[in-house]
Parts: sequence; C-alpha cells; structure tokens
Amino acid sequence: MAKSLMIVDDSATMRKIIMRTVRMSGLEFDRTEEAGNGKEALEKLQASPVDIVLCDINMPEMSGTEMVKEARKIDCCQATKIIMVSTESAEELINSVMADGANGYITKPFTPEKFQEKLAPFMN
Amino acid sequence: MLEQLTLQDTVLDAAREVFETMIFMDIETSSDACPSITGESLLGSITFKGDLEGCLAVCVSQSCADRIAKNMLGMEADESLTIEEACDAIGEVANMVMGSIKSRLQPLYPTLEVSIPSVITGRELKNTLGERAVKTIVCAWLDGQEAAEFSFLYRKSASQKTQ
Ligand SMILES: [Mg+2]
Repeated sequence: MAKSLMIVDDSATMRKIIMRTVRMSGLEFDRTEEAGNGKEALEKLQASPVDIVLCDINMPEMSGTEMVKEARKIDCCQATKIIMVSTESAEELINSVMADGANGYITKPFTPEKFQEKLAPFMN
Repeated sequence: MLEQLTLQDTVLDAAREVFETMIFMDIETSSDACPSITGESLLGSITFKGDLEGCLAVCVSQSCADRIAKNMLGMEADESLTIEEACDAIGEVANMVMGSIKSRLQPLYPTLEVSIPSVITGRELKNTLGERAVKTIVCAWLDGQEAAEFSFLYRKSASQKTQ
C-alpha cells in the first residue's frame, strides 16, 4: 500500500535535499507534505495525518524533540512513524528522543542508502 | 586543552565529510597562503555554547555558493537559483559542518549546544569573536577551483575557570 510522507525542516533547501535523497533511495510515496517547524508540522498532521515523518531537531518555533513529545499525545499521530534527521549525533540526545517516541534516527550528512535502511522497515 | 593542530584536522575532516557526502565536491587544503575570496561573498555561521563557546563560519564567493547549492539540490549548472536559496544552502552547510565537528569533539566537550545558522552577504566578510578568541582557520579549494574558508573560533565559556 502506498505511503504518505512529511518532511519537517526549517531549511527549504534541506527539505528539497531530503526529498531528492528519498527518491534516490528508491522509496516511493503517493503523497508528500512539508513543514518548516514542529508547530506547523503538528497543525498539518492534525488536518491530514501521514504514515512517516522525517523530522529535523534544531528548528525555530518548535524543535523536533518537542514535536515528537507533542505528536505522541495526539490521537491522529499514534501510528505515525517519526524518524529524526539531524546534525545532532550525541548518544544521549538520540536515546532521549527515541524514549520520547521517535522511531529512528538519521544523522546529517546522509546518503540514499541510509534512508533506504532506516525507512524500509516502515514501508509495508 | 584543544590543540590547534588537531582542531585544524577536525574542521577539515568535518568539512570533507559534508562536501563529499552531500555536495559531491572534493576538498583540499591550500598549501600556500589562504586563497582570497574577492567580490560578493556569503558567510554562513552558527554559534555554539556549553563546554566551549564560539562560532563556526563558512565563507565562499557568490559563484561558489551557487555551485554548492546547485550540487546539493541536484540542479544543472544553467538552471537559475535565487540568492535566498544560495543563502539557505550555505546556512545548512555551516549547520552540517558544525554538527560533524560537534560529534568529533564529543569526547572532550560533551555539552555543546548549537544555534540556528545565519547567513550574511557582502564583501570581505569576517567571522569574529572578539580579541581573546582562539582561531582555527582552514583554507581550502573545492574541486580544485573555488576557494572556501572555514573558521572555528572559540573562547572558554563563562562557567569554565581560567587558570
Ligand atoms: Mg534545522
């Protein structure tokens, strides 16, 4: 079954790069959404939920770590898989955001192979 | 104590990781004096605080910034790009290089909190942090033809006592 995707990053360039890398990884989505911060992402998710969210951490307005916590409190986002995509690579931070409900973690810079590896388990 | 020599390598390795993985440009240090970046240029910078306090900046000419952005976005050389897109790309380069430096410094400085990147345009742009700053400047050539300058400046944070 076709899946839907949302890319959350404060940089429009980075959103395009992530989109391109997802395509290069061979993964296909029937719908893709974008948001520039956690707050905008939550609003869009409530209006129209998606299967997979790729989420930056350092963003103005609402960070990715806060977004994960908030998303897990909302009914529509319970089944959504949230994979963090960040330059942050401290183990402590990764563990804490995973404990808060994230389903995976990709560090920037990344490769299409990395996206394939981390997203494939959620594509069925 | 952070040795200047290792910090040079750390900054270069971090920059190389980002440029090779996401920008598809190779990066070599310049053995002579820093190649000068003349004309309109872009300076992307990001500050950090915690165990170390300072900023990292990436400075390139506008034409180089264009190439970087197009490479990152998979655009053709003749496609047009807005200055906002070039700025956004350089900000993300600074963000990723800093992220990579941060993970390399983790064993020594576990707590480093980074800001959101900012980018300025103009001529003869400089990354500054006051007189007491410890400076590491890495001058490099991208694909053997465009100059880039990476500067990592820091001072001991307020919470650290100076001997
Ligand atoms: Mg960001």
